[in-house]
Amino acid sequence: MKNLNAIPIIFASFFRSGLKATRTRVFMLLGLAPVLLMFIVRLVDAGSAPDFFSKVMLSLYFQLLIPVLALFFGTTIVNEELDNKTLVYLTTAPVPRRAVILGKYLAASLLLLLIVGCGFLLSFLAAAANRLGQAAAWEELGVFLGTSLLALFCYSALFTLAGTFMKKSILIGLFFVFGWESVVQYFPGVTQKFTIIHWIKSLLPVQADQGGFLIFQLQPSPALESVLVLLIAGLIFLAAAVFIFERKEYILSDNA
Amino acid sequence: MTAVLRAEKLSKWYGNILGISDINLEIGPGITGLLGPNGAGKSTFLKIAAGQLKPKIGSLQIFGENVFANHRLFQRIGFCPEHDSAYMEMSGWRFIMLLARLHGFAAEAAAAMSEKALATVGLLDSKDRTIKGYSFGMRQRLRLASSILHEPELLMLDEPLRGIDPLWRIKIIQLIKEYEKQGKTVIVSSHILPEIEAMTNEIVLIHQGKIFAKGDIQRIRGLIDSHPHQISIHCPDPRRLAAKLVDNEYVLSLDFPVQERGLTVKTNQRDHFFNALMRLIAVDKIAVEEITSPDDNLQAVFDYLIGK
Repeated sequence: MKNLNAIPIIFASFFRSGLKATRTRVFMLLGLAPVLLMFIVRLVDAGSAPDFFSKVMLSLYFQLLIPVLALFFGTTIVNEELDNKTLVYLTTAPVPRRAVILGKYLAASLLLLLIVGCGFLLSFLAAAANRLGQAAAWEELGVFLGTSLLALFCYSALFTLAGTFMKKSILIGLFFVFGWESVVQYFPGVTQKFTIIHWIKSLLPVQADQGGFLIFQLQPSPALESVLVLLIAGLIFLAAAVFIFERKEYILSDNA
Repeated sequence: MTAVLRAEKLSKWYGNILGISDINLEIGPGITGLLGPNGAGKSTFLKIAAGQLKPKIGSLQIFGENVFANHRLFQRIGFCPEHDSAYMEMSGWRFIMLLARLHGFAAEAAAAMSEKALATVGLLDSKDRTIKGYSFGMRQRLRLASSILHEPELLMLDEPLRGIDPLWRIKIIQLIKEYEKQGKTVIVSSHILPEIEAMTNEIVLIHQGKIFAKGDIQRIRGLIDSHPHQISIHCPDPRRLAAKLVDNEYVLSLDFPVQERGLTVKTNQRDHFFNALMRLIAVDKIAVEEITSPDDNLQAVFDYLIGK
């Protein structure tokens, strides 16, 4: 099969498998948990719903759900094939290895987008039910969805890369999400720019950390710069993942 | 002989563990059996040949090309791995269809190829069941279907008869022989001599990562048959049996184990000894409860051949 013609075949097959997978269903429920929270807040105090959405929901989605889901979906692109010893079927097919990883990456990304997008949209609708007629509300939704798309692209590319060369990539990824990303984003000056969350938060209209207990605050970067950084970083991570996957030998078990 | 596969000074190790060492080998059309005990290096060799592993030293070429990351070569190669692995949530049909599409067949042609491959291994009726519902033997046959799907010129099968029931064993052996008749190349690994013997006369003996012998199976059979075998016989009256056996020219020694009710016989002509034993059982009505041969495995044969 020539060049990358196999990507749509691999994408379609693994997207379909992913939709049926128990893991996806569990994460789909997890992704809907903030929606439930949003509805409860709306029932209790409808006036505070938009504010709650901006401050709490954004933190929940951008600092927790998106990186954690990207971690689980990204790292399993290669690791699951190794654990289940199924990689051999894809690497003994006459398709370039880059088609394998890119097809699987696209399938995982679309699944992620569905999980996050559905929850995000429903949460937003619950929060902004009173002002759905206003253009500003939809503009805000556009910014949130666009930012979540960039965040998913960048995080999942990073974790796909981790999965290509690390066996325990989930553990390292958890340390990255809850250690590095959670802490370093509050460091002053340039240091916070070494986190992905810095660039994501720079794109959001409301900073979830304002008024927090930490001394250091986000010092947002310009929006265009943030978009470019997230896009370029994601592309670099993905290119590195492809580069490694094409060259690395994966030992599936004890060799006889 | 036109070499389909050529290995030169091929070596592979994992950390401190040796996989294979300094293998020089040429394999041409026909069936070649890779025979060796577990851990001998057969799978490592096949994994290098299937582009799953890179050689540490030396080279392995198929159809004159290196294999690793050479995806175009896989149009001509079929590989059946040893692992009991598959996409368990997929149906057998979807799994085979995915592979058929990856081999470049359009949907309609892929469906026809998949149907043919599944019918060949007797899984057409179960094609819509998820693979996790298959038995071990069915999964093994599915793996075989995945390797023959595109009718490759070179078929490499790693322990293909493992877990297969006797009826399908015969059918698969026939299928492999059919490939030979078509002028194709089949490399099949096993640690069970009769399995290989049923398929081919051409064998490569691998032991401790090296090629120990190569050639006609009859020569190896001869070595194995003259290998002094220990045979344990459990019976209620071992001394009566021993009295009958002591005159047998193929018996080298007789021993009465202290803790067991029976005797241990050492023979250098296993087949002749068994014929004589069967006669004693049938004619002299000597009761025998169990016959076991602790040496009757390849490891023991290899140990004998290398003089351990």
